Amino acid sequence: VFQSVTGKAALEKADLVPAMKALKDRLMTKNVAEEIAEKICESVAASLLGKKLGTFTRVSSAVKEAMGDALLRILTPKRSIDILRDVKSAKDEGRPYVIVFVGVNGVGKSTSLAKVAYWLKSHELSVLIAACDTFRSGAVEQLRTHAKRLQTTLYEKGYEKDPANVAREAIATAAKTKHDVVLVDTAGRMQDNEPLMRALANLINVNKPDLVLFVGEALVGNEAVDQLSKFNQTLADLSATAKRKPIDGILLTKFDTIDDKVGAALSMVYVSGAPIMFLGCGQSYHDLRRLNVKSIIKTLLQ
Amino acid sequence: MVLAELGGRISRALQEMTNATVIDEKVLTACLNEISRALFQADVQLKMVQTMCTNIKKIVNLEDLAAGHNKRRIIQQAVFNELCSMLDPGKPSFSPQKGKPSVIMFVGLQGSGKTTTCTKYAYHYQKKGFKPALICADTFRAGAFDQLKQNATKANIPFYGSYTETDPVKIAQEGLETFRAEKCDLIIVDTSGRHKQEAALFEEMRQVAAATSPDLVIFVMDGSIGQAAFDQAQAFKQSASVGAVIITKMDGHAKGGGALSAVAATKSPVIFIGTGEHIDEFETFETKPFVSRLLGMGDWAGFMDR
Ligand SMILES: Nc1nc2c(ncn2[C@@H]2O[C@H](COP(=O)(O)OP(=O)(O)OP(=O)(O)O)[C@@H](O)[C@H]2O)c(=O)[nH]1
Ligand SMILES: Nc1nc2c(ncn2[C@@H]2O[C@H](COP(=O)(O)OP(=O)(O)OP(=O)(O)O)[C@@H](O)[C@H]2O)c(=O)[nH]1
Ligand SMILES: [Mg+2]
Ligand SMILES: [Mg+2]
Repeated sequence: VFQSVTGKAALEKADLVPAMKALKDRLMTKNVAEEIAEKICESVAASLLGKKLGTFTRVSSAVKEAMGDALLRILTPKRSIDILRDVKSAKDEGRPYVIVFVGVNGVGKSTSLAKVAYWLKSHELSVLIAACDTFRSGAVEQLRTHAKRLQTTLYEKGYEKDPANVAREAIATAAKTKHDVVLVDTAGRMQDNEPLMRALANLINVNKPDLVLFVGEALVGNEAVDQLSKFNQTLADLSATAKRKPIDGILLTKFDTIDDKVGAALSMVYVSGAPIMFLGCGQSYHDLRRLNVKSIIKTLLQ
Repeated sequence: MVLAELGGRISRALQEMTNATVIDEKVLTACLNEISRALFQADVQLKMVQTMCTNIKKIVNLEDLAAGHNKRRIIQQAVFNELCSMLDPGKPSFSPQKGKPSVIMFVGLQGSGKTTTCTKYAYHYQKKGFKPALICADTFRAGAFDQLKQNATKANIPFYGSYTETDPVKIAQEGLETFRAEKCDLIIVDTSGRHKQEAALFEEMRQVAAATSPDLVIFVMDGSIGQAAFDQAQAFKQSASVGAVIITKMDGHAKGGGALSAVAATKSPVIFIGTGEHIDEFETFETKPFVSRLLGMGDWAGFMDR
């Protein structure tokens, strides 16, 4: 597909079209959302227009290189968050550090919360889990099981309670009992479900967590774009503070189920500007990793 | 379901084509490109979209279309038919009969909605006069039995499971015996979420299937799934002889194109869609109305009875 125009003068749009189309198709096959693949390809093409290629450079290699640079720029976090450091400073202030897990249904919020609890414990930090999914059947028992296995404290008030209140009480309890971190589980919700999004905004407004983690699954396709933009937008619109982007970081789950179709990682970061702080790559507690940006880029371009 | 957006784009693409004075190869290609983009955005597998375009081009042989023929209409019809045939595996799935005991097993990826959908399915048939029962053969996920138990209790459906037994095969067998004795005619087995990359999990699924010889294995798939849909669905088909598909979470914004991939991979029809977390948020799936909605109705309604 990639043709060669070695030795030609400056690159024109027509020279780039076939290579860009092939690259866009490749990104989409890797599960990058169409809209995002299109936008990235457009900006890479624009950056190459009018450039002169060396005698032995093929258009395809020039395009691939420019794409690699663009992906590196997108995936390299602009803000760096060091949870362990921030937990320590909260501790110095004499208060627990609070993380809220949010996302659509079934993506792995509660399981990931348990994994993060395990990780924090391995750094000698004490954790209190707040069962604020008071809606889905079995949600409380699910966390109780994890808390028991991990030997951490669970704060729960059963079902049908106001989650914002449960979170508030849990944080107050943690402050008294000198727990270092409170992990707040929330019920899954569709980004278009207004009453449920409102309830989540309220939980965040009332409790002002240190970190809002968006949990998304690597399996998701084009919906990744809508999920992240709507969670950010709706929570910002309903926010009590002036924070423009309420989502601080992303936890990308089910990374073990997608082979080389790693595109959701790119879609999510592109749309939200938030860093991928953890990767979930299995169902046990230790299946929590850091994102390797270089290997993602390599896979996307393969 | 926000399908209108997709349908709108496809209709617009076709409209633009009508506005062109001469419908030639170039105009048709532009139209198909636009339709392809809309389908990519709905998560239909890349390869399937490409095949569809080739097929349409073959059907709509521009040279054969004599002047006076409504080309736009012929192309529309071809698009509609192609989408329908992608969703129609050509044979209906097993359908449970009242009074005649049958076993239905639910399988799928982690978090796709199996446990929730099991109860919806049971409730749907209970309202039709069946005597359904639920078995929790998920011994892996924390809280799985409590989840099924609470759902079943709310819907007043008998359930079976264990807090201590770790072998799903054993639970499935015991549950089956219990409910056969109680003369239940629709015994539903819920299983753990799994994925093709873990051979041991697939082996466990084969064992549960072997122990229960289900009349129907239903593959439950999340409507927002992207390009991984096809490979995963195919792997389930190969290991568990899937006979039907249910697409969940269609109350979201997703256009459900993954459904098309799942049908292609499992060669099984979609029988229901899930449209919410509540027990009655469940709809029977019918291909033609679905595709009409996918395409934004309007113009398309006329094709339905042909
Ligand atoms: N393979 C794999 N499975 C995962 C991963 N993370 C979570 N899961 C599984 O996904 C399923 C759903 O996980 P949950 O943690 O209950 O998801 P949730 O987002 O809390 O779900 P709701 O609260 O119902 O919205 C479970 O079967 C988990 O074991 C992962 O990284 N890899
Ligand atoms: N909005 C919406 N949520 C749904 C639908 N079906 C299921 N869910 C939710 O999706 C989440 C996961 O559903 P489960 O039934 O636990 O999924 P599962 O496949 O049994 O999960 P595992 O057993 O962990 O593999 C829950 O929060 C459900 O309430 C649906 O049609 N719409
Ligand atoms: Mg949960
Ligand atoms: Mg389940």
